Amino acid sequence: MKFECGDLDRAMANSDLLPEAREHFKTCAACRREYRLWNEISTTARELHEEWDTPALWPAIRETLQAERKPEVFWWKQWKTWAIAAALAIALAVPLRMWRHSVLTTPTAQTSSSATPDFLTEQALHEVETSEAAYRRSIEKLSELAAPKLAAASSPAVVNEKERLSLLDSAIAETRANVASNRFNIRLQTALADLYRQKQETLHEILNHDAKN
Amino acid sequence: MWEIGLPLPFAASVPDHPTEAELAEACRRGNVRAFERLYQLHSARMKSLSFHLLGSRADAEDTVQEAFLKVCRAAHGFEGHSSLSTWIYRILINCCYDAIRKRQRLAESPAPPDFRAETNVPLKVSLQRALSALNERQRMVFLLFEVEGLRHSEIAAVLEVPEGTSRSWLFEAKSQLKRLLTEAPK
Repeated sequence: MKFECGDLDRAMANSDLLPEAREHFKTCAACRREYRLWNEISTTARELHEEWDTPALWPAIRETLQAERKPEVFWWKQWKTWAIAAALAIALAVPLRMWRHSVLTTPTAQTSSSATPDFLTEQALHEVETSEAAYRRSIEKLSELAAPKLAAASSPAVVNEKERLSLLDSAIAETRANVASNRFNIRLQTALADLYRQKQETLHEILNHDAKN
Repeated sequence: MWEIGLPLPFAASVPDHPTEAELAEACRRGNVRAFERLYQLHSARMKSLSFHLLGSRADAEDTVQEAFLKVCRAAHGFEGHSSLSTWIYRILINCCYDAIRKRQRLAESPAPPDFRAETNVPLKVSLQRALSALNERQRMVFLLFEVEGLRHSEIAAVLEVPEGTSRSWLFEAKSQLKRLLTEAPK
C-alpha cells in the first residue's frame, strides 16, 4: 500500500500504519508538521496537570466525617435507658404492692405465717376473737353483779366509777365497730382488750367498794 | 498508575503497603486512616481533573471535598464490582457534572472563547483554551488519558464504556484539537 497524505488520520488512530507514515514524512513536510503537532498535543497535555497544595482540605473532610459520626454510647451509659428502667420499675411496683395488700387483707390468704406484725393471721384472729368473746361474757357477768350497786349508787366514788364505765362502754362500742371493719388490725384488737381490761378493773372496784367500806 | 504502595506510617490500623483489596476493606469498615490513605493516593489527580472540568481551583477543591465525603459515606456499601479508584473517579465526575449543571442553572453560560490558534501564544495555553471547545466526552477522555495519565482500560471502567470507545473518543478529541490549533485565525 502506498501511504498518502489522506492516510495520516488513519495512521494516528492505528499505530500499525506508523512505519509507513514515517517513510511518507521524509518527503512530505505538511504531514510531518501535522504529525509533530499530534505528538506535541500529547506532550503538552501532560503539562496541563495541575498540582497545588491544599493543606486544609483533608482536615476539613475528616472533621466533617467525625461530626457526622455519632459517638458509640453503650446502652448502660444512656440516661434514657435508666429513665425507662425506672419508669418500668414504678409501673410494676405500684400494682404489685396493691396486689400484695389485697392478698394480705383477704381472709383466705391469711393462712400464711409470714403476715406482717400489723396484721393478725386468720388463726391468731380466731383465737383473739374467741378470747374476746369469753372475756366479754365474763365482764357481762361482772356487770350483772355490779348492776344493783350501780343503780343504787350514792357515794361519789361509785358515781365516778359509774361514769367511767359509761365512757368505757362507749369507747368499747366505737373500737368494736372499727375492729369489725378491720379485723386483722392488731393494734385495734389490743386497744379493745385494754378497754375490756379497764372495764373489768372498774367493775372490780365497784364490787369491792362495799367490802372496803 | 493506581499504585497504592506509598508508606503510611501513621495509619496504625491500615497496613503500610495495603493492597487495593485491603484498602477497600478498611474503607468499608469506615476506617478514617484508610480514607486518608485513599485521599493521599488520589486527591492530586482528582483536584487536577476537577480544575479542568470546572475552571477554578476553589471549585475544584469544593468538588473534591464533596466527592470524597460521598466516597466515605458510601464506602460501607462498596461491593468491589469495580476497582476502588474507578469508583472514586466515577463519583468525582458526577460531582463535577452536578457542579456544572448547578452553575448553568444559576447563570447563563458565558460565550465560549475563541480558541483558534494564536501564533504568539504558547501551545500549552492554546491547548487549554481549545479543550473548552471539545464536547463533553472528548474532553473527559482527553483529560483522563493525556493529562491525568489513566489507561484506556481504566477510563473505560470509569465512564462505563468499552475500551474501544475510549480510544475512539480520544482520537476524535485529538483530531478536533489539532484542527482548532492549526486553523488560521480569522
